Amino acid sequence: MASRDVVSYDTPLSRALSIFGTVFVAFYLVWTLLPFVVMFVSSFKDMLEAFKLPVVGDWAGMTVFFDFSPTLKHYTTLFTENSFGTYIMNSLIAAGGSAVISVIFGSLAAYSLSRVDFRGKQDLFFWIISTRMAPVVAVMVPLYAIFRSLDLVGTLPGLILAYTTFNLPFAIWMLKGFFDNVPYAIEEAQMVDGATRFEAFRSILPLVAPGIGAFVVLCVLFAWNDFLFAAIIGSGGAKTLPVATRELVQPQNIQWGSIMAAGVVTTAPMMLLGLVIRKYLVAGLTMGAVKE
Amino acid sequence: MTDVSSLSGTSREVASKLFRARAHSVEVEARPRAEITHKPRKFNPPMPKHYYYYLMAPAIAILAFISLYPFFWLIIMSLQDVDIGGGEWIGLKNYTKLFTDARFIDGWILLAQYSVMCLGLQVGLGVTLAVVVNSSKYEKYLVTALLMPMMMAPAVAGLLWLFLYNGTFGWYHWVLQSAGILDSASILASADTAMYAIVLVDVWQWTPLITIIALAGLKRVPRDQLEANMVDGASPLRNFFAIILPNLYPVLLIAVLLRFMDNFRFIDSILVLTGGGPGSATKILPVYLFEVAFKFFKLGRGAAIALTLLIVTILLGKLLVRVFEKPQGGKG
Amino acid sequence: MFHKPKNAQVSRVSRRRFLELGGYGATMLGTGSLAVGLNSTIMSSRVQAASSDDAKWKQYAGSKLTFLSENTPPSFAIRDNIKAFYDLTGIEVEILTDDLPVVQQKAGIDLRSGKSDYVLNYIQDKPIGAPFADFYVDLSKMFGDETLPQDVDGYGDDAWFDNFLSACGRFYSEDKIIALPYDAAIAVTFYRQDLFEKYTKDFEAEYGYRLEYNENSTWKNVLDIATFFKKLKEGGADVPYGYAQHQGSFAWTTQLDIQRMMFAHGRWTDFNMDDKIGSKEPGPTNWGDEQSVLMLEKFKALADVSHPDNLANGTLELNTVYQSGNIAMQVQYHEFAASVEDEKTSVAAGGKTAYAPCPKGEASWILNGGQAVNGTNCGIGGIGINANAPEDVQRAAYLFAIWSTSKNIQYDVLKGLGGTPTRKSVLDIPEVQAAKSRPSAMPNALTFDAVYNFGIKDPNFVLGPKITEANEYHSLIASETQRMLSGEMSPADTAASLKDQIDGLNGV
Repeated sequence: MASRDVVSYDTPLSRALSIFGTVFVAFYLVWTLLPFVVMFVSSFKDMLEAFKLPVVGDWAGMTVFFDFSPTLKHYTTLFTENSFGTYIMNSLIAAGGSAVISVIFGSLAAYSLSRVDFRGKQDLFFWIISTRMAPVVAVMVPLYAIFRSLDLVGTLPGLILAYTTFNLPFAIWMLKGFFDNVPYAIEEAQMVDGATRFEAFRSILPLVAPGIGAFVVLCVLFAWNDFLFAAIIGSGGAKTLPVATRELVQPQNIQWGSIMAAGVVTTAPMMLLGLVIRKYLVAGLTMGAVKE
Repeated sequence: MTDVSSLSGTSREVASKLFRARAHSVEVEARPRAEITHKPRKFNPPMPKHYYYYLMAPAIAILAFISLYPFFWLIIMSLQDVDIGGGEWIGLKNYTKLFTDARFIDGWILLAQYSVMCLGLQVGLGVTLAVVVNSSKYEKYLVTALLMPMMMAPAVAGLLWLFLYNGTFGWYHWVLQSAGILDSASILASADTAMYAIVLVDVWQWTPLITIIALAGLKRVPRDQLEANMVDGASPLRNFFAIILPNLYPVLLIAVLLRFMDNFRFIDSILVLTGGGPGSATKILPVYLFEVAFKFFKLGRGAAIALTLLIVTILLGKLLVRVFEKPQGGKG
Repeated sequence: MFHKPKNAQVSRVSRRRFLELGGYGATMLGTGSLAVGLNSTIMSSRVQAASSDDAKWKQYAGSKLTFLSENTPPSFAIRDNIKAFYDLTGIEVEILTDDLPVVQQKAGIDLRSGKSDYVLNYIQDKPIGAPFADFYVDLSKMFGDETLPQDVDGYGDDAWFDNFLSACGRFYSEDKIIALPYDAAIAVTFYRQDLFEKYTKDFEAEYGYRLEYNENSTWKNVLDIATFFKKLKEGGADVPYGYAQHQGSFAWTTQLDIQRMMFAHGRWTDFNMDDKIGSKEPGPTNWGDEQSVLMLEKFKALADVSHPDNLANGTLELNTVYQSGNIAMQVQYHEFAASVEDEKTSVAAGGKTAYAPCPKGEASWILNGGQAVNGTNCGIGGIGINANAPEDVQRAAYLFAIWSTSKNIQYDVLKGLGGTPTRKSVLDIPEVQAAKSRPSAMPNALTFDAVYNFGIKDPNFVLGPKITEANEYHSLIASETQRMLSGEMSPADTAASLKDQIDGLNGV
């Protein structure tokens, strides 16, 4: 099915193109991965060592980048002087909680939306998805007022609810697509066999389970990487990793070593999760518009 | 805000077009579909609609709670003067004043410039990458490597790039300087280059999205067309422009719209990198809104700006939904 | 929803207003919070004037309070020491620390919505004090209260360093004190003694005077020094740049950076008003006058010979540039001395750096006939109490406010993480006196003579403008100056544009 099998005519032009392609990808890979390398390596450097640069234009001097004595102190600082252990837990609970809640309520709503027709359904559906598109900055102040009057500011439940504002519409939208794909006939058949409606709903869950799992992970990813909600609604009692990392920029000292270490701690788990659900990433990140 | 009556077709139709050929519905399709759907309808128990409404209710309630209230709040605030202390009704003054506010107008212009630059680069690089990667035997590994930046929290990405751009110890700065692209001033230190700096970060982080979307699109380029063209002696380049690109167009449009809306939504890395400066060189509208609402505490003016932003987002959203409706992959 | 708080009953009022404005949507909000803010509880036992001090300190034992502060050393140090306060009073205080902009946002929302989630606030003079002054408790009511413990050194202007109490405590009126000085950042000149000595001969040959810096050095000398080093560097010598400005993304410090120079020349200020208490109606601005245009020209000239990253370096980044040896001189806040003197993070440590007052005005650059002074400005962080809180909570918070600004605590902070005292009596401690010269156990003390005995005294000291629109004002100054520095606008146009926008902002 892939078009690559087709291109087999060997012409000078196609050879030139393929060389160009290889070089291009090589350069692109360097540019895309180098920041990670710098982040990772710098997290093991002392501040003054991290600041060492070769003379401008001295390309051979680049080896100075690897010329340092590794230290784990930035990582230990994160957990001893800062409470990164707590922040990791906060991030996990807030992201995980909102993902689970979104997917549970989202799948119920998506299932029904998929199975029933009524006047204004299109409008409802568009409204649901538009809530996810709203610029966060625009709605932050009123949201804060709501959360405040419910005493949810600075708490994990508050942050979970805040993340639900963008994860729930996402889950409904995505999962509706899933349920649309499951023929109604399966439930019908179950009910004909005497199953209750709920049992019928349950019977199709295994069919959508892998998708649901993937979207839980995607919801975790979105929530984990959030900054604005966490900074305004969460921080205090529910400080998450991105906010804690940002706070290492202190008025008298930018703790670059710790920031790099915190960056590694914040990013690594999401990279792993990203790999796990790679198959669903395209669908998830395009709101289901494109499938691999 | 939700008038979509102009959209054609029931959602079931839309969805069936949209979500066909899903990799993960294999299990479903393993059942002979025809056989099931041919079951006589008379055995169906009637399904009371209210049963579905109950299932829908909690999610709708949560969403209503966290989206309708802020929306009405914004409208009310935008008609008030809530600079310091109590609010005072001032009609449309917040809106009329916007049109004489140079920062507001600049904000829109900069937002447009920023988006166009980001998207132009992302689509160019993303599609090129997709084409090259698609014909590589290491596709899987390459894609995995390319995806990495998307997994990073934008705020963390902002900090990382702040480190890389630093004029004193930043490696990226050193590379640009050594290559003769920059003189000794940091890329963030000049109003002429700061915009490129934030564009580069966005390109770094989100080009992979375009790449994987384009890759998905490439897989659906009809093989027979390509083969036919090849037999006619068309060059690979011609092939690309005549067949592949038109086929990619619908998916790319979706990608572009999504990214465009994200540019409205996420300003984490810009806040970290430049905060809108130097001067107002990177003060795109959401950044200005952030300032008005959270630094100046002009909630009335902020609400008016927010509503203009929301309206444009909703229009873009409607456009997006329209694109969703169209079958993708061209003649595939 | 946002309104002016009147008294402790506020949270009920605000709910009603909230409902009025929010209409239908708000009715879904469920019950509001109790009078005491988020995370705060209050317990009290009655005391009389005749009660023992201990009883007075302990009268709110069992209460819980929240203090929203900037992430600066005093707050970290006090958080580490919080058990001492608990032992003294039985009150638990949670100290939340955030970046100043975040503190600003949170405090603003809290105060404006009539809540008191954060009973105690870090009140940075202009960014937080100026817009929100009316939302804080007048502490002077409690100063003489005999049912409360009081600090032995008192709270008068004399108890603090010159001008500090006014800077963070008095807004728009002489009568109210809304905050006690909690920490301070005072501008002072840091320069590389070693480099100045090394190049003084070359410098003298060119400029006719020695490469030295002291309280009589002017902004013109700074311009000379910066020009000299830049030329040397461009000639291929391995030297740092001479000078650098604070023109990065944090608007407030950008404004302070240019204010110092403007004030040094004829004590120029933005508005014709009492600089120390400010005004809610400041009237037309002085931007656009002859003096301001000349100053912008000189500021631009200085920028052109300064470190090329001026427009990217905020205060903090600038200090990093100095620490890494890339500039020979900076006008910086005295709290940074500790980091500059730290050999692990700074190549300017170990006696290479000397400290002196901010540069003086150059007589020939003064067009308004005023005096040439060593224009020195500051950020004085105060600690104040949210007026939305009920009275008992305010009184409990007062205990913390006076404790955290007492002499002993300030001394502890100075010894530990490098604080910046605000009480005069701290300077009398013999250990602090000793630390003013090298080798110093408390490096910040190396700056104390230039700061406390010179810079902050009149006529050098400048505060303003304390206006309610301070934050937008800072942002305007920052973006217009930055545009001028990047060559988009001429100094004259910049001054005119500033006049236009600032007068518009203040409704003149």
